[in-house]
Amino acid sequence: MTPQPRRRDAATPRVRRPRVRRPELQFRHSIAFVLLLVLAAWLAVVGAQAPPQRIVSLVPAATEILFAIGAGPRVVAVSSYDHEPPEVERLPRVGALLDPDLERILGLRPDLAVIYGTQHDLRQQLTRAGVPMVGYTHGGLADVTAAIRALGERTGTSSTANDVAGRIERDLAATRARVSGRQTPRVLLVFGREPGTLRNLYASGGVGFLHDMLGIAGGSNVFADQKRESVQATAEMLLASAPDVVIELHVDGSSPADLSPWQALPALPAVQKGRIVALTGTDLVTAGPRVATATERLAKAIHPGAF
Amino acid sequence: MTSRPDAAARLAHHSWRPPSARVAVVTLASAGVAVAACLLAPLAGSTSISLSRAFDWSLPWATNVDAQIFFVARLPRVLAAALVGAALASAGVVFQALLRNPLATPFTLGISAGAALGAMLALTFGGVLASAAWATVPAASFLGASGAVLVVYLLSVARHRGFSTNVLLLAGVTLNSLLSALILLVQYFADMTRALQTMRWLLGDLDVASYDPILAALPMLIVACGTFVWLQRSLNLLALGEDHAAGRGLDVLRVQRMAFFSASLATGAAVSIGGPIGFVGIVVPHLVRLLVGADHRLVVPASLGFGAAFLVGCDLVSRTIIAPIELPVGIVTALIGGPFFLWLLVRNT
Amino acid sequence: MVRDVSLDVPSGGRVGILGPNGSGKTTLLKLLAGVLAPSSGQVTLDGTLMTSLSRRQVARRIAMVPQHTHPAFDYTVLELVLMGRYPHLGAFQVEGSADLDIAHASLDATGTAEFWSRPFSTLSGGEQQRVVIASALAQQADLLLLDEPTASLDPGYQLEIASLLRKLHRDRGVGIVMATHDLNLAASVCETVVLLDEGHVIAAGPTAEVLTRESIARLYGIDADVAFHREAGHLVVVPIGRAR
Repeated sequence: MTPQPRRRDAATPRVRRPRVRRPELQFRHSIAFVLLLVLAAWLAVVGAQAPPQRIVSLVPAATEILFAIGAGPRVVAVSSYDHEPPEVERLPRVGALLDPDLERILGLRPDLAVIYGTQHDLRQQLTRAGVPMVGYTHGGLADVTAAIRALGERTGTSSTANDVAGRIERDLAATRARVSGRQTPRVLLVFGREPGTLRNLYASGGVGFLHDMLGIAGGSNVFADQKRESVQATAEMLLASAPDVVIELHVDGSSPADLSPWQALPALPAVQKGRIVALTGTDLVTAGPRVATATERLAKAIHPGAF
Repeated sequence: MTSRPDAAARLAHHSWRPPSARVAVVTLASAGVAVAACLLAPLAGSTSISLSRAFDWSLPWATNVDAQIFFVARLPRVLAAALVGAALASAGVVFQALLRNPLATPFTLGISAGAALGAMLALTFGGVLASAAWATVPAASFLGASGAVLVVYLLSVARHRGFSTNVLLLAGVTLNSLLSALILLVQYFADMTRALQTMRWLLGDLDVASYDPILAALPMLIVACGTFVWLQRSLNLLALGEDHAAGRGLDVLRVQRMAFFSASLATGAAVSIGGPIGFVGIVVPHLVRLLVGADHRLVVPASLGFGAAFLVGCDLVSRTIIAPIELPVGIVTALIGGPFFLWLLVRNT
Repeated sequence: MVRDVSLDVPSGGRVGILGPNGSGKTTLLKLLAGVLAPSSGQVTLDGTLMTSLSRRQVARRIAMVPQHTHPAFDYTVLELVLMGRYPHLGAFQVEGSADLDIAHASLDATGTAEFWSRPFSTLSGGEQQRVVIASALAQQADLLLLDEPTASLDPGYQLEIASLLRKLHRDRGVGIVMATHDLNLAASVCETVVLLDEGHVIAAGPTAEVLTRESIARLYGIDADVAFHREAGHLVVVPIGRAR
């Protein structure tokens, strides 16, 4: 719309408005305006920093951490594979690494989502939906305590989180001290194999929290030179690695572990010395707050004389 | 007519060697290649061992690492590769003759999908039933394969009196799709480690580390491969077409049934040892036909021998090329098979 | 589908089966060869029920030349022809030089001797057809069943095949049953013709009696002149136009 120039009409009288100056009103207005601005700014800052009240966690380790640092009551949904702590059993499930259920997640109106660092698609979708996120990537033991502290800050439970992390670090140091000075045996840390045989055997490589736990527990990982988290070991590799101790990590304790297949390789020092151990429990394979107890269990299995 | 009968006759008589001589030469040559492969392959591996120690009988077995690497880690593996390679290659030949299609494989009719489903169920739920013999992966995969074979066969004879290869093919492909969907479903309910293990099994794994799976599958493989040899000549006739074959005096229905069941038996046994290793059942028959022609009396024995040698070779590559970790043997056969077919395609155009 | 057919092929006879597409010619041939079994009625060979004979026994007496041959693999011509010796060989018996001679003679008879070492797939349609006939000849059967034997042959080879068939009959007493569209071929080779329409036999008998203008009009819906051609020495059919 083009502005129309004002037309001076002979019929339109020109009215002169008297100019009235009201300095008090101006001042009150500006004060109110400034106060309003300050209030808005404060609300924004506080609002942004308000701890999340509805947390969705897709990572079992992160779920355990959240509960350990006191943010448990604020967790509204967990992944399909969460079983610890027992409180999560009554929480709704929203999928896991490969199959996150975006609809369900959004339907729960979360103000924080803990997802895997590799879930790029989900990250994009949640960003578009405006849900704040924390990415969780499996790493070494140090990453576990760092994650505990980071989640503590994020959820406003920093003091508890620092306590938890600190306790873990102290316990790990204690375990390390207990087994120090002892000879470090070569250890094969197995976390999966075909039942009844030694085929399809997966062991810990030289990277990751299992490897770190093994180091603190006073064992030398036979696959320390393999720069990967998991190694699929063939019979030849097992024989060549010559472990002094074999530790099998089992998650499902419903039936006792069958260790007889190891007798097929009598040349393994571990078989000759009868040092094949099976440990059961989810704490052994979760990079969460129970790593310290898990490490102690490993240490007991490797150095029974120290406990 | 433009032929000169006498000259052609003389040429035919001079250069034609009786089939018996050719069969003998080809059989001996292929057996020789297979034996040579089995003798040489255990000498190499991801670790260097001392052969003199391995064969030193004075050393106690329990502490002789070199001997165990040779006799427990490598030798059963080489034997398994030889058996699986021979079985898959010859089963491929028989399926190609049965379905009258050089692109048919032992897995076209859904057998490997059935075996995979059995293996998956054993891997995922087998830990709970570890004591049951049938819950082990080899037994379960063989059961799965047999189930698939039965379903395909019943479907094909229900729809068509006699034995229709067209219906067989349709039934097999349909079952393949259905079973693949079921496999994905089972994988969905498995955790990461199980899912990884299943995926690994699907890529082929010959690390048997024991003679038991070999001995368990041996009777079936002998029966199956013996049947192939019995059917050699009949397969030639079958390849011409059912009417042709019947007109030449072949009992077509009986031969088709024998071919189908024996080839399925060989495939099921092979897959139960090492998983569904692809490309062996199609690369080796093609190579063999290029070398010896289309006569099944030469192709069958040659596929047995060259199939064994081929897979022993592929397994050797898989366990040495990125030592100490392994490249799954199914990937090696695929990396060889793919370019081979590309070359075939280019050569024919 | 073939219904209510009673057919008697005398030993050494030459029978032509004529009829439009879909009339059941191929089915009838397959029944005669024993490749198909009748749902009712019976097929006998020299008085013996076909179903009580083994396929091998039948194949030694009857050889069939189907209309199409598509081997799944690359067999050579000689390999293909030698397959015709199958009914005469034992379970593991291999072909000997006698078999080679028979195969070679068959190739000669069909003018394909020069192709013996070539892959079958490299031959032309007509050459392939002649090789298939040679393969059936190698069976040394008493009765030859042919389904459209000259369908893909040029006039030169059509005449060759016709004269070959007549020669086989004359010299070796081989019986011939031929299903064909080629009325002149039937007229030149067959002494008896059977007219088949939609699975029924509408006429059967000596060629001169059955192959008439009227019967051709009824069978094919065309108006054709049928006359004895003195120079050719047999009946000749000349199609003129659509029957009104």
